Amino acid sequence: MGCCFSSCREDDSSENADPNERTHLLADPVSNINTLHIQRVHSDDFLSQYPNSLPEKTDQISALNRILQETANNVIDVAALGAHNLEQHEYVERMKHYTQKLQTVAAVSHKWVQPRANPCLLVDIPAPDSLLAAAPISPSDYVLIKSTAKKATLALDDLKVEHKEDLVVPFNIP
Amino acid sequence: MVEEMKKFLTSLLHKVEGLYCIAITDRDGVPMVKVTNDKMPEMAVRPSFLSTFAMATDQGSKLGLGLNKSVICMYSSYQVVQFPYLPFIVSFVASTKCNTGHILALDRSLQELLTDLKRTVIEP
Repeated sequence: MGCCFSSCREDDSSENADPNERTHLLADPVSNINTLHIQRVHSDDFLSQYPNSLPEKTDQISALNRILQETANNVIDVAALGAHNLEQHEYVERMKHYTQKLQTVAAVSHKWVQPRANPCLLVDIPAPDSLLAAAPISPSDYVLIKSTAKKATLALDDLKVEHKEDLVVPFNIP
Repeated sequence: MVEEMKKFLTSLLHKVEGLYCIAITDRDGVPMVKVTNDKMPEMAVRPSFLSTFAMATDQGSKLGLGLNKSVICMYSSYQVVQFPYLPFIVSFVASTKCNTGHILALDRSLQELLTDLKRTVIEP
């Protein structure tokens, strides 16, 4: 643990016989085995000496559990999914709950509430493409419509009020 | 609030030709707001049917392509488009001839309503 930085920097002090924090534990162990007296510390002694330096056992278990959980989350297990059907009464209860919740709130200033539109002859249609792509009417129909409209216009133009008798008549009041 | 929501959803329903139903449900398929027209197939709004989407979207998000945003199911006579807006699921049922892009575009119009709904239904 103490040798994390030992390979980062070659230092002259590593030549010294006394081990320090920069001493290579495994640096040329065969040739230096006689000259370099490395203190070999048993791991349990080390653990008791530095209780905070290694993760606790519970930490390890929780880490393991976390890994297991993550793995379980990432696995696609279709067979284990199964159909989760609600009981009828639970369904009804939930529906009641939602309805009550929604009833209590008034939608006054919500942006999605559409303003009341003025009545208009032209209205949006859902699929204009189908209407525009429709086959045009036959020429005979077109001529018929035109002639009928013309006759109607002429007839309307000829509409006159025919005077027959006075509009204001004196009543025979005794 | 329910009436306003229904009115709003009905206006959306009329905007898209061939759309039969818009349902906002929870993960188990219990409806909160639902608008339908008379061509609506009853089977498509059953909780057991709608809730399968919640599982499908969960599993689909594990495929390594990111989070699943919508599922479109095409059947011989209907199509079902579903969005996860957790904790809700928004489901659209339409005819097969309905323009799916139009349905997907409704998602944007629904965002504000869903935010309001979330605020209302979820306990503070």
